[in-house]
Amino acid sequence: MISATAPEDRFRLIYAGNFEHLLAYALRRVDQPADAADVVAETFLVAWRRHREIPEGGEARLWLYGVARRVLSNHIRGGVRRERLGVRLRQRLAAPTAPDPGSEVPDRLTVRAAMARLGDLDREVLMLTIWEGLEPREAAAVLEVSPAVVRTRLSRARARLRELLGDDLGPPGHVFDVLAAPVPEEGR
Amino acid sequence: MTDEQLDRVIRNADPYRAEVIGQLDGAGQTLLEEIMSEPSTRRPLMRRLVTAVAAAAVLTTALGVTAVLRNHQSAPSSDASGSSGASASPSEEPQVSASGAIRYSAMVLQAAEKNPRLLIKESGWKVGNVYDFVEREGSIEFHNGDRRLEMNWYRAEYYDSYYKDRLDVSKPKPATVDGLPGFLFTYSYGDWAIQLKPNGDSFVELRSSGTWTQAQFDRTVSTIKQVDVQTWLAAMPPEVVTADRADAAADKILADVPLPPNFDRAKVAALGTNSPYHFGALVTGLVGCGWIAEWERARKAGDQAAVRKAADAMKSSHHWKVLNDMNDGGDWPEAFWEVSDKIAAGKDPVGYQDWLGCSR
Repeated sequence: MISATAPEDRFRLIYAGNFEHLLAYALRRVDQPADAADVVAETFLVAWRRHREIPEGGEARLWLYGVARRVLSNHIRGGVRRERLGVRLRQRLAAPTAPDPGSEVPDRLTVRAAMARLGDLDREVLMLTIWEGLEPREAAAVLEVSPAVVRTRLSRARARLRELLGDDLGPPGHVFDVLAAPVPEEGR
Repeated sequence: MTDEQLDRVIRNADPYRAEVIGQLDGAGQTLLEEIMSEPSTRRPLMRRLVTAVAAAAVLTTALGVTAVLRNHQSAPSSDASGSSGASASPSEEPQVSASGAIRYSAMVLQAAEKNPRLLIKESGWKVGNVYDFVEREGSIEFHNGDRRLEMNWYRAEYYDSYYKDRLDVSKPKPATVDGLPGFLFTYSYGDWAIQLKPNGDSFVELRSSGTWTQAQFDRTVSTIKQVDVQTWLAAMPPEVVTADRADAAADKILADVPLPPNFDRAKVAALGTNSPYHFGALVTGLVGCGWIAEWERARKAGDQAAVRKAADAMKSSHHWKVLNDMNDGGDWPEAFWEVSDKIAAGKDPVGYQDWLGCSR
């Protein structure tokens, strides 16, 4: 590795340690997978331009999620897409790949549809907690609210989701463990 | 459903699949390189490498037009600038008129008229690093005790992007610098940025660091004045390599450096205004890029003798005086040598264009 200045090395480490997490964050929140490339590219561009502000250690990821959240909000409002940055990433994410049969089983779609009906902040608290695996304190840092608010919202989101899902789902522990890919039956 | 069961249901509905990472085929790394080649506060990659010299390269000459003009008059003699044999065209060189004032080339003046420079007129300020001051871009640092003020010029086309970015820093507050309108952003107390609206085809952003009070910042900013290029260049300390000093400075640097075929010496004159370290990096960068291009050409052509010659030239960089002199000041020599060692070992120096600034 070529020597470089400490801030540059630090940024590379931050990128390496967080790229996948940020990509996952973006993919979970955009309609078209290719759009996640714009969110990731813009987020890390902001981070690069403000690298002196990125906190140390694990807090860096929370800071990046916070930036990504604002980027995503601009994206949803129709913010200008960066044409130059992340073209290759966009192409790779847009490339047709073998569909993951597990991602589209009806019950999963039902859950996502129910989550879509939650309030924005409630849904985000739920996603940060369960999909990103953040503690209430960490989710609070991303959302710039107090941990108490996160706990309240989380509790409310769970209750509302339970209500929305109602009887739509089969018994827990059964439906979501099925092998969704078609498996040839023996003897055929 | 218990909370635990519900959470499992939600977790299973996560649309993200980790397999996607394996399908990116290096696109994540490409994005990183793209991002890091974008201008940041610290400028693109090559410039960042050379900015590791802040502590070592702080120049201590007090700002003062009179003092610097005096220095200009004792600037390198025509013998020195004429000895290169391949200097930039005479029309690009500044000349001393009968009255003793420096006259700069039409090209330099034209660029500067479009992009006025700023100077701090408050006493006690000194110029630190200056680099890459070309037509529309450049950085200059001023120091006064614990207080630092950096000014970065960017191309006007980046303004919207930078402005939007700073909106995440704080709410913008209208501000002016010598009558030029802009916005003040607060990173934290003592760490302020004033982003001026584009003026000509560039815009400038001022950023404070160190120990400031609000009153000190306001007072210093109120003394900043727009100046024309002659005044600005004249205010540079003698150590700074301005266009009129570039040829002589390059002669000194290149004295023990083998030049690649078709080395375009005129490019030296187009490097803008730079601190000595930065100038050394830019000049050796030009040489390195030339040798690597020759090495690649020769490899393609199967010209083994030329391949060896280019590799030997790059290997010799370990002994170049300029790089050894610069080694305590920053990381540029190490980066250069690492690329050189790859060439010497017959390995492709992937990404060297970025490292050495070959796209300039």
